[in-house]
Amino acid sequence: MAANPMTQFNVYRIGPEIKLGAFDISFTNASLFMIISSLAILIIFNIGSKKNSLLPNKIQLLAELSYTFVSKMISDTAGLKAKPYFAFIFSLFMFVLFCNMFGMIPYTFTVTSHIIVTFVLAAFIFIGVTIVGFAKHGFGYLKLFVPSGVPAILLPLIVVIEVISYLSRPVSLSVRLFANMMAGHTMMKVFGGFVISLGIVGGWLPLSFSVALTGLEILVAFLQAYVFAILTCIYLNDALNLHH
Amino acid sequence: MSKDPFKTRLEIAKDKISKKNLYNKKDNPSSIGTAFKLSTELVSAVAVGTIIGFIFDKTFGTKPWFILIFFFVGVVAGITNVIRSAKNMQK
Repeated sequence: MAANPMTQFNVYRIGPEIKLGAFDISFTNASLFMIISSLAILIIFNIGSKKNSLLPNKIQLLAELSYTFVSKMISDTAGLKAKPYFAFIFSLFMFVLFCNMFGMIPYTFTVTSHIIVTFVLAAFIFIGVTIVGFAKHGFGYLKLFVPSGVPAILLPLIVVIEVISYLSRPVSLSVRLFANMMAGHTMMKVFGGFVISLGIVGGWLPLSFSVALTGLEILVAFLQAYVFAILTCIYLNDALNLHH
Repeated sequence: MSKDPFKTRLEIAKDKISKKNLYNKKDNPSSIGTAFKLSTELVSAVAVGTIIGFIFDKTFGTKPWFILIFFFVGVVAGITNVIRSAKNMQK
């Protein structure tokens, strides 16, 4: 394996080069791992929901637990009105979680450590939530930018601030996931490199560090998927129940 | 030995449960999640404000002014973001 801790983030082409106009749409290792994680989700939940036995086996238990987890999360944060969006949030949560978790296996590629992937997800959520808000409230959705009880002189400034804070949502959503994943994986690689360079005499300390870091990274991988999904719920809540 | 072995056992069990609850509260995933939220919210609003200012400067040709104004507006927006999510945390 290469000594440079950043080479793990390289995207390279697998198979032939495919061009669509000016865009390069070749199949890369990033696309491979997206497909792997999507397929893993499909397989696990297909098997888990096939046999509806009263006494669930492990896979069925996994599927049922994740269902109730996400369902509870949505009803806690966005209320009953957000029930129709369950499928979207569930698949989003599962996709991010599986991408993060597949990245924890050595020699794999972490899809979510690239900002373009997380930004596309976040932009999709942002546009979707805005459309939902306008569809539910019409132009009344613009009241989101005008808090009640503000003096008229301050109103232009407040509206600009609110618009910027609204536009900053996809940025903060995507940067959080990307930065956490990339920083964690780089740190693990750096500590792994210390083990090699210090050899058998001094390598034990960084080795124990990397063991601890691996545990931390698994926590972060789960937590970031959770935060991603729960923030989607919060934004959806803002769009569905307009209250300011 | 002790007069009432059941009572001591009960006390030990109660102690364990309260300790477990304390631990669970500290390790609540949603509170760690909201803590992660704050830092990026502050930064991203500043970045978005600066980008908007940059775009305005490019289109109107008023080189430093919009970027300066929108940088500070972005800072204000970031702070309001943080205050808002901190208020949500307290709920």
